[in-house]
Amino acid sequence: MGNKLLSRLATTPSGKAPHAGAMTRRGFLVSMTAAGVAFGFPRPSVAAMDPAAADGVPITPDGAAFEPTLWYWIDGDGRVNVNITRAEMGQHVGTAIARILADELEVAWESVHITHVDTAEKWGTMVTGGSWSVWQSWPVYRQAGAAGRTALIEAAAQKWGVEASACSVRDGVVSNGGNSISYAELVAGGLERSFTEDELKALPLKPHSQLRLVGQDVTALDIANKTDGKTIYGLDAKVEGMVYGVPLLPPTRLGASVSSVDDSGARDVKGYLQTLTLDDPSGTVPGWVVVLGETLMAAKWASERIEVDWSAGDTAAVTEADINDRSRALIADETVGAILPTQTPDTTGAFEGAADILEAEYVTQTVLHFQLEPLNATVFRNDDGIWEIHTGNQWQSLILPTLSSALDVPADKIVMRTYMLGGGFGRRLNGDYTVPAALASKALDGKPVKLVFFREDDAQFDSPRSPSVQKLRMAFDADNGVVGMEHHAAAGWPTGVMVPSFMPKGVNDEPYDPFAIDGADHWYSVGAHRVRAISNDLANKTFRPGWLRSVGPGWTNFAVESFMDEAALKLGADPLEFRLRHLKAEGQNAGSAPNAVGGASRQANVLERVAQMSGYGTADLPADTAIGIATTFGQSRTMPTWTAGAVQVRVDRETGRIEVQKIWLAFDCGTVVDPDSALAQCEGAALWGLSMALYEGTTFEDGNVSDVNLGTYTPLRMIDTPPMEIAFVDSTEVPVGLGEPGTTVIAPAIANAIHSAVGVRLRQLPIRPADVLSALKG
Amino acid sequence: MIEFTINGRAVSVDADPQTPLLWAIRDEIGLTGTKFGCGIGMCGACTVHVGGRATRSCITLLGDVAGTEITTIEGLDEAGNHPVQEAWRNLRVPQCGYCQSGQIMQAAALLHDIPNPSDDDIDAVMTGNLCRCMTYPRIRKAVREAATALSGAQDNG
Amino acid sequence: MKSKDISYMLKRFLLGILAVAVIAAVGFGVYTYKPAMDPVARDDQPAFDADLVEQGRILAAAGYCATCHTASDGAPYAGNYPMETQFGTIYSTNLTPDVDTGIGTYSQAAFRRAMHEGVDREGNHLFPAFPYDHFTKMSDADVDAIYAYIMTEVAPVQTVQKENELPFPLNLRMLQSGWKLLFADFGRYEADEAHSDEWNRGAYLAEGVTHCGACHTPRNALGAEREDAQFAGAEIDRWIAPALTAGNPSHVPWSAAEFKSYLESGVATYHGVAAGPMGPVVHAGVRALPEADIAALSIYLADKVGAQDDDPAGSAAVMASLKANRPDPQYRGDLGARLYATACASCHYNAEQIAQGRPDLGINSATNLDDPTNLIHVMLDGVNGPVGIAGVVMPGFRQALNDEEITAIAAYLRDKRAEKPAWANLATTVSEIRAQGRAAH
Ligand code: FES
Ligand code: FES
Repeated sequence: MGNKLLSRLATTPSGKAPHAGAMTRRGFLVSMTAAGVAFGFPRPSVAAMDPAAADGVPITPDGAAFEPTLWYWIDGDGRVNVNITRAEMGQHVGTAIARILADELEVAWESVHITHVDTAEKWGTMVTGGSWSVWQSWPVYRQAGAAGRTALIEAAAQKWGVEASACSVRDGVVSNGGNSISYAELVAGGLERSFTEDELKALPLKPHSQLRLVGQDVTALDIANKTDGKTIYGLDAKVEGMVYGVPLLPPTRLGASVSSVDDSGARDVKGYLQTLTLDDPSGTVPGWVVVLGETLMAAKWASERIEVDWSAGDTAAVTEADINDRSRALIADETVGAILPTQTPDTTGAFEGAADILEAEYVTQTVLHFQLEPLNATVFRNDDGIWEIHTGNQWQSLILPTLSSALDVPADKIVMRTYMLGGGFGRRLNGDYTVPAALASKALDGKPVKLVFFREDDAQFDSPRSPSVQKLRMAFDADNGVVGMEHHAAAGWPTGVMVPSFMPKGVNDEPYDPFAIDGADHWYSVGAHRVRAISNDLANKTFRPGWLRSVGPGWTNFAVESFMDEAALKLGADPLEFRLRHLKAEGQNAGSAPNAVGGASRQANVLERVAQMSGYGTADLPADTAIGIATTFGQSRTMPTWTAGAVQVRVDRETGRIEVQKIWLAFDCGTVVDPDSALAQCEGAALWGLSMALYEGTTFEDGNVSDVNLGTYTPLRMIDTPPMEIAFVDSTEVPVGLGEPGTTVIAPAIANAIHSAVGVRLRQLPIRPADVLSALKG
Repeated sequence: MIEFTINGRAVSVDADPQTPLLWAIRDEIGLTGTKFGCGIGMCGACTVHVGGRATRSCITLLGDVAGTEITTIEGLDEAGNHPVQEAWRNLRVPQCGYCQSGQIMQAAALLHDIPNPSDDDIDAVMTGNLCRCMTYPRIRKAVREAATALSGAQDNG
Repeated sequence: MKSKDISYMLKRFLLGILAVAVIAAVGFGVYTYKPAMDPVARDDQPAFDADLVEQGRILAAAGYCATCHTASDGAPYAGNYPMETQFGTIYSTNLTPDVDTGIGTYSQAAFRRAMHEGVDREGNHLFPAFPYDHFTKMSDADVDAIYAYIMTEVAPVQTVQKENELPFPLNLRMLQSGWKLLFADFGRYEADEAHSDEWNRGAYLAEGVTHCGACHTPRNALGAEREDAQFAGAEIDRWIAPALTAGNPSHVPWSAAEFKSYLESGVATYHGVAAGPMGPVVHAGVRALPEADIAALSIYLADKVGAQDDDPAGSAAVMASLKANRPDPQYRGDLGARLYATACASCHYNAEQIAQGRPDLGINSATNLDDPTNLIHVMLDGVNGPVGIAGVVMPGFRQALNDEEITAIAAYLRDKRAEKPAWANLATTVSEIRAQGRAAH
């Protein structure tokens, strides 16, 4: 295949595209053979992905289908196909969402199928992140299900000449007295009914007590294929005639340009095709070079022998310390940053009149996503002139306009095909990795290019969690009452860099990135409360800050919840009691419908629950061993997931090692839609929290992250995994997110436990044995 | 041409013998269930069996497997019902699933060698397999469940 | 087999030759002269008895003749296998029965003279890379069997013998005679009455056809095996051929049972696998011998090593090693321990017992030798399919781990697993072996 293509590339670099043949989705199949033996997965589908199908091809309706809303159809066989716009990256999100719909629709789970759709205008914004999926889908898919159920009951009632209200429905069968008829028959008999927005809103929903799929464990539709290798991820994309590309990354993320490329050393690498210096009108990947080969290794081996001279951007010498120093300077400058709309943002009086003040600085290191599937994208222009982007992605709507400018075509000439994600954790919210693949294909006039990042490239090109510096202050009156609190947080701002239009404005009219400050605006009543979010400009131009799992709450809560312990201990109070005393459902912290009903009282409730579970304050523990606690509200005040955690550690005074003996967590996330997946998300999130607390962290050196693979980057592994006990509060409130909250409490709980065990306060993440040792030495 | 057996079928692959086995399996033979995570033998996503041993295919050279018998996740059990796979489904181990082919291949090899592993045994052997979704608690449980299923099967004859 | 495995051995011979040339350049005339023997027409070769041919096949394998007489892309026994030395490359000769370029015109007697005296049919002295100092111990009958096998089973192949690239005076074959005079001890094996028949059978094989001492016995300054240090261990092409004497540093003594398993399958449960230059010795060689012969060899070698025949399964050494192999939650505290847990433990695991073929690195030969060379070779380049445990591959970490990481893992194994004093110059050894490049298999 390659040779033919190579000669085409060589002869028509800029001429008309040779007929692209079967490069459409229809021709998207595995055609590789080895010595006449062909294996693999043919995937002659038209669009989208069914994670339960061996070849990924979604089901199509048998005969005419009934499609009450765009979210699903039912066919004459009674099969229900639910359209999912969210990316599947481990949350079993399709299963959760389809179940919401199926419950309202009243069908048996066995008849439900899902389709993760490709991008199209009709789906609206496509984004999977922020732990939003279930929360946002809940009202929409319930309505959609209710619409179908209503229409089908009405059709049956009409058939029998009875009142719809006299009919009952169960598992896809409508009954009235002796009559019964299945949805399948009703649909087969022909059924047309669609609903306006207003009609949808007016539909009656099942009362919570009658929900039969929500809250129950059902078979997750994506799991079986994840146990036998059939799941199709972006890296598995295959297009006839594709060539492979690997990047040569410039010395700086921004501002670099290529001075010269010498590929003479690579010419005798068998299968090497050519080297492209990308021309990027979108400005996403300045200074990029892509090496093409007939095979991935040909491209890789060739890339190792190609000399590129770059002129670097001006961040080529930036270090982590530089970024943190910049944060400190910005914090010291009271004129910068956005002031969040807390109840009393002016703290001047509180601090001026304070009897005592507590102040502390917290620092967190850069963290890599290290999602296990390295970045990749396959791009080509199909027979219809549409650019197809084959990749796993979390925020299609964000990157499509960028692709449109990179490819210089209107957005409706681009479609992103849906694949399963080998981990997201926020990395794939930023679709920048699709751009070089698109540009490479564009340079080849639409030929298919599969761009693969080796791990080292993936890490260097990461949108890491920004390093952060935070200064916290608390003012006390003469009676040791808390009268004011300030939280100044400086870090790189993912939203500021990638989608500034998403940023709300603070009370001083300055925009801020909620993802970089959420958590600081906590539910404790502390009198005057000033929260200042500061964008670190040096961070923002050195790298593209990422929305890494829990983003800001991963560092803000480390600071807040460490600081609450520090404050309690300063006053000689019990940290649990001190927190509960300030978690009062009053004023701004009273909470509001629909998402935050109960406010701070629900946070107090999970905190008490976790204290009970863990025996905090009562357990009789050996020397150098202690339990620490922390509580958060997950991601944001607008969608609080009430979270509390306790961690028991033993500190080895000799080695500084922190042995994590057990983790307890309590969550109040409203209605639990998918109990087992909820548990899985919380387990994973908590272990991420642990990993980032103790084991993970890199630093910027010379403008790039210094750890690029597992030799030095050391996430948590099985042997590091402590036992965990996780509880969910029974609730019928609106379901909120669970993908991230578990991460937020672990680090502060550990820091608090360390202090309680051996009396030293660690104010940086990760906490390494060397840090513990030097703190112990004092 | 390098010849070997994969999932019971004889193949010969015409590729540079220095090619990592992983890419030969994925791109030349077309079996994409075996995954790429780190490329340096430290995540286990690429684990296959060579001669019955769990082997990291990303650092195994194609030229070195001539004449061997290789099994990938697709061939562990024809119907995907190896006791390890069943336990994985029962306990809903996978999240994103990307590491799980490797985890399952590693666990199957472990149980072959140590049919009744202790928690320590499981930790020692499975610690080399990174799961970025951190499904470790469930992997531990599932290995134990599969061990029970396997020993039951043996007892029954 | 790698060309370098042989070449190093040869290098040492050549050094010896050079010295001989200097000290005794004259005076060998008489000794040197060997007459040519008459060629025989190929058609005149008698038909050989099938059993004899089969015996020859086995012996030729046990002497791994083909290993040195087959070029990587050439026909079996057709020679031109390059042996690179610091002096230049020499090429093995064509052993096929081709009349023009092979040994098709050798009579049985000429073949015997070559094997027993190191002289070719035309009367030229052969380089001692050809271990005639061992083959001289073989019985006429065994040598005849190999002859019968080659003449019957090996396809004649016409080749163009590549010219040796040796400088003067090393290219003078007559100088070989001086070396022979000094070191070669010609004559058939003589049984040692003090030992059993089985032992004697083993000794006959080990000292003759399988020429174990060629690698395992250190050589003197002139490249000859030191009689006073038989099997004391030696370096061979930057691998270590361990001592087969009481000086063997294994935690678990080599027993006859261990030797037997090793020579039959390439795997000794308590020592490791046959890799490096030893790989083909077992896999393309000794294992072809009948079980009784392997047993005899094992008894002989076990006697040399001085082992008892206790079952090591429950021994303190094994128990301690298994215990040290338990996972340690503190593994992150040491780079070597961490990398081992991450990259090695997924294969090198054992439970209460050591499973055959799961090399336990605490008691493995490579971690217990006084020199880290073998361990580093295997870590960098692995063990491929045909050698080690047949059909099993240990991947190499050459591309995956840097010198610091390889060094850290080796140091960890040495310290925490073998519990032996640290290797001096470990880091240097790692970078030197890496710099040699990946040996071609
Ligand atoms: S990809 Fe092979 S071990 Fe990570
Ligand atoms: S399930 Fe996602 S990496 Fe393991």
